[in-house]
Amino acid sequence: MPRVLLIEDDPAVREGVELGLRRRGHDVRAAGTGEAGLAALAEFRPDLLLLDLMLPGMNGVQVCRQVREHSQLPIIMLTARGDDFDVVIGLEAGADDYIVKPARPEVIEARIRAVLRRMDDSGPGRPAIEVYGELTIDRVGLTVTKAGRPLSLAPSELRLLLHLSAAPEQVFSRQQLLENVWEHTFHADARLVDACVARLRSKIEPDARSPRYVQTLRGFGYRFGPL
Amino acid sequence: MIPLPRRGRNTEPAEGRRTGPEERSRVRAFGLRTRLLAAFLLVAAVSAGTTSALTYREARNALLKTAQDTAVSTFREQVQQTGFGLPVQEEGMEEVLRDLARKGKPRPWVVFAEYGSVRASSGENPVSTVITPGLRRAALANPYGSFERVVKDGVLYLTIAMPTVFRTGPYDTLPSGLVLYAVMRMTDEQINVDALLTAARDGALPGLAVALVPGLIAARSVLRPVRELRRAARSMGSGRLDTRIAVRGNDELADLADTFNESAAQLEDSVHELREAEARARRFASDVSHELRTPLAGMLAVTEVLDEDADHLDSDTARAVRLVSAETGKLAVLVEDLMEISRFDARAAELNADEVDVAETIRKTLQNRHWTEDDRVHAELPTGIRARLDPRRFDVVIANLVGNALRHGGAPVTVRLRTGERPTGTPVLITEVADRGPGIHPDSIPYIFDRFYKADAARTRSAGSGLGLAITQENVRLHGGTIRAGNLPEGGAVFTVEIPLHAEEATA
Amino acid sequence: MRRTRPHRRAAALAVAAAVPLLGGCGIQESDVIEAGGPATVEAFYNRSEEVILFFRTPDGRLNPVIRTVGSSPGFGDEYTEPGPAGTIGPPTTEKAIAELLTGPRPKDRAAGLTTALPPTRPGATIKIDPTSGSTVTTHLPFPLKDLNTTALRQLTCTIAYSKDPGGRLTVKLTGQDGGSHSDTCGLPSGTPG
Repeated sequence: MPRVLLIEDDPAVREGVELGLRRRGHDVRAAGTGEAGLAALAEFRPDLLLLDLMLPGMNGVQVCRQVREHSQLPIIMLTARGDDFDVVIGLEAGADDYIVKPARPEVIEARIRAVLRRMDDSGPGRPAIEVYGELTIDRVGLTVTKAGRPLSLAPSELRLLLHLSAAPEQVFSRQQLLENVWEHTFHADARLVDACVARLRSKIEPDARSPRYVQTLRGFGYRFGPL
Repeated sequence: MIPLPRRGRNTEPAEGRRTGPEERSRVRAFGLRTRLLAAFLLVAAVSAGTTSALTYREARNALLKTAQDTAVSTFREQVQQTGFGLPVQEEGMEEVLRDLARKGKPRPWVVFAEYGSVRASSGENPVSTVITPGLRRAALANPYGSFERVVKDGVLYLTIAMPTVFRTGPYDTLPSGLVLYAVMRMTDEQINVDALLTAARDGALPGLAVALVPGLIAARSVLRPVRELRRAARSMGSGRLDTRIAVRGNDELADLADTFNESAAQLEDSVHELREAEARARRFASDVSHELRTPLAGMLAVTEVLDEDADHLDSDTARAVRLVSAETGKLAVLVEDLMEISRFDARAAELNADEVDVAETIRKTLQNRHWTEDDRVHAELPTGIRARLDPRRFDVVIANLVGNALRHGGAPVTVRLRTGERPTGTPVLITEVADRGPGIHPDSIPYIFDRFYKADAARTRSAGSGLGLAITQENVRLHGGTIRAGNLPEGGAVFTVEIPLHAEEATA
Repeated sequence: MRRTRPHRRAAALAVAAAVPLLGGCGIQESDVIEAGGPATVEAFYNRSEEVILFFRTPDGRLNPVIRTVGSSPGFGDEYTEPGPAGTIGPPTTEKAIAELLTGPRPKDRAAGLTTALPPTRPGATIKIDPTSGSTVTTHLPFPLKDLNTTALRQLTCTIAYSKDPGGRLTVKLTGQDGGSHSDTCGLPSGTPG
C-alpha cells in the first residue's frame, strides 16, 4: 500500500483524512505545516504527497515548488477554496492533480491510485525505446532524455508524454486526455491538461512558444508531432 | 445583483428588448429645436409685422391726407375761378364743367353740378352714382368743402363736394345753392399704398430671415446643454454613475445641470451603499460556506468509518451514526452548491470553453451518473454537432436537469439535442430534457429557477440542495444562453436550454 | 392630443394680434369729412341794381336768385351807404318784396325753383317801418295765416338780404289780419375766404 504524506493545517481535516485513508490501508504520515512536511519527506519517503494549499507560514504552492526542485514525487493538491486562481497556481507549481475539499476518502483514494498507476500502454511488438528528434523515450524504464540528457518529468508530465507519443500525430481532445491520463471524468477541469502541457513543453521543447513535439490543434486538442 | 423576483425572466431571450431612444427622437416632429425656432420666428414676425403695419398705417394716412387735401383745395381753386349766374342755367353748364374737369390735377376727375333741379356733369351721366346722399346732405347743410372715399364695384373713388357761395357784400357771402362735385378714382393712391405694402413686406421678410440666425444660435445654445443632459442621463442609465455635466453659465439650464449632478451624486452614493451592503451579504454567504467546508472536510473523511462500523454497534447507536453520516453527505452537497452560487453572484465564475462534440459530452454525463444502464433515460443525440462549451458546466446543466426530471418527474426521461436559430440569426444549440411525470404546476413555472424554491410545499428537503435549477440557470446564462421550463401537451415537464453554438463570442 | 389646448390658445392670440394689423391694410371707405370752406364763385351780383330773391327748390330748401330791378332814386333808404344826394341807391326792400311776390320767372322755373307765396295783385302797398336796432318791421298786404313756413322764410330772407349784405337782421312780418312773425333768415352766411 502506498505511503502517503499529508500536509494539512486543520487538525480535524488532518485527522479525518488520515483516519479515512489509513482505514483503506494506506500508510499515512500527517504534518501540520509545510516546514514539518518537508522535514518528514526525507525520513518518511512517501510515494505521494497530499498537500493542502492553505498553510500557515510556508504555503502549499511554495512547498510544491520546493519539492519539485529535486523530486518527481507525485503531488495532489487539496484545496478548500474553489478559487480557480489557486488551482492554476498550484498546477503551474508542479502539482499533478487536485482534489477539492470536502472529499470522501474513496474519492481521494481514486485520485491517488490514478496518479500512482504505472503507464502500461507499451503494446506488444513495440520497441521499448523510441526516438523522436532529440527525444528518446524509454517506455519500460520510464525515462526520457533530450539530446542525451535525462529529463526529470513529474508523473503527470511523463504519463502525458507517453500517452501522446504512443499514437504520434493522433489528436486527443482535452476531455479524452483527462479520462485517459488523469482518469478523471470526461467533464473534469481541462486546465489540468493545459497546465501539464505547459510544464511538459518547458522541459522538452526547444522553444515553448512554437512547440515541436506537443502541438496544439485549436478547437480540437493536442497531438504528438509530426516532427 | 439584487435578488429580485424573477417572474418570467427566464422565458425571454436576452436581446431584442430595448427600443433605441434614437428612433424616438427622430420621429419627434415638434422637437425642442423646432419649437424654439418657431417661437423666435413668431416673435420676429409679430414685431416685424407690427412695426410694418404701424409704419404703413402712418405713411398711408399721410399719403392719403396729402392726396385728398390737394384734391379738395385744387378743386376749390378751380371752382373759384368760374362764375355762374343765379339761377344757374342748365345750358352751357356742361361746357363749364368739362373745362373744370380738364383742369383736374393731378389727375382728371369727373365734375358734377347740382342746383335746384339742375343736374349736369362733365361726363356722360348728369348724375353720379358714386356720390352718397350723406355727402349731398353735408354739402347742402354746411357751406364747407367735404370729401368721402367710396368703394363702388371694387374701385375706390374719392368724391369731393364743394358748395359754392357768392359775395353779397365786401365782407359777406351767401350759399348759392349750387354744389359742385368731383369724383376721381384713387388708383394712383392705391398703387402707392400697394407699393408701401410691398415695401413693408420686403422689409419684414428679410427681418424674419435675419431673426432666424440668432434664433438658430439661441436654439443651439439651449439645445446643447439639453443634449448633454440626455447623453449624461443615458450614460447614467447604462451604469456609469460617476457621470457629471459641466455647469456653464448661470441660467435655468445651469441650474438643471446642477440639480442633475446633485441627483447623480446622491444616486451614486445610494447605489454605492446598496452595492456595499450587497457585497457584504454576498461575502458573508461565501465566507460562511468557506468556513463550513473545513469542518465538513474532516467529517466527510470519516463517514466511511462510521458507515462501516455501524454494523457492529447496537441498533440505536447504529441509526444515529448512519443519520450523521448521511446528513454530512447532504450538507457537503449543499455547501458545495452554495459555494457555486456565491461564485456566480461574485461574478467569479469563469467559462472555460472548449470545442466539444456535444452528443459525446451528453453521453458521458449520462454514463458517469449510470443513467444509461437501464431504460430510465433515453437520449436522442444526433452526431456531428460541435459547440464551444465549458464541458464541466454543461455537464452540471445536463446532470441537474436529468436528475431533477428523475426526482420530480417520472421515467422515462428524454434528452433531445438539435440545433436551431434565434430570431436574430444566431445559431443555437437546443437541448430538451423531458419527463413523463405530472408536469410543473403553471403557478410554479415563473419561480421554478428561484433559489430554494419548492414547487411542492410538502416536499421534503431531501430531494436536493434546492439550488440545482438556480445553478443550472446561472451556468446556461454564463454560456450566453437561455433556459425555459414548461409542460408538454401530452403531459410531463420539459426544460429547454438554448446556448449559442459559439459561447465565447456570445458572452464577449 | 394633449397639447391641443395651449395650441388653440396660442392660435387665438395670434389671430387677435393679426386682425387689427391686417385690417389696416388697403384704403377703406370713409365717412364724409369736412375739408376747408366752400368755393366762392362769381355770381355777378350788383347790389346797386339787383336784388336777391329766395325761391323754393324741389327738395324744400331756399335758393337765392339774383334779379335785376333797376336802380332806384336815393330816397327813404336809410340803409345804404350815405352818399351824395341824388346818387343812385340800391333797390329798395319794397321793390325786392314786390319782385318776390311776382314769383319765379321762366329761367327760375327751369332750374326747378318755385314759390310758396300766394299771388298778389299788383300795386298792393308794402310798408316798411324805419329800422329800429337790428329789427326791420314789414307790413304785408295779405294775411299771414295763409302762409306756410317756406313762404315766411322766403320773405324773411329776401327782406334781410335786401337790407343787409350779410342778412343778419331780425325781420318782423305783420299781415293784414294783424298776425305777425318774427325771425332771422338763418342761412349760413360767411366771409369770403
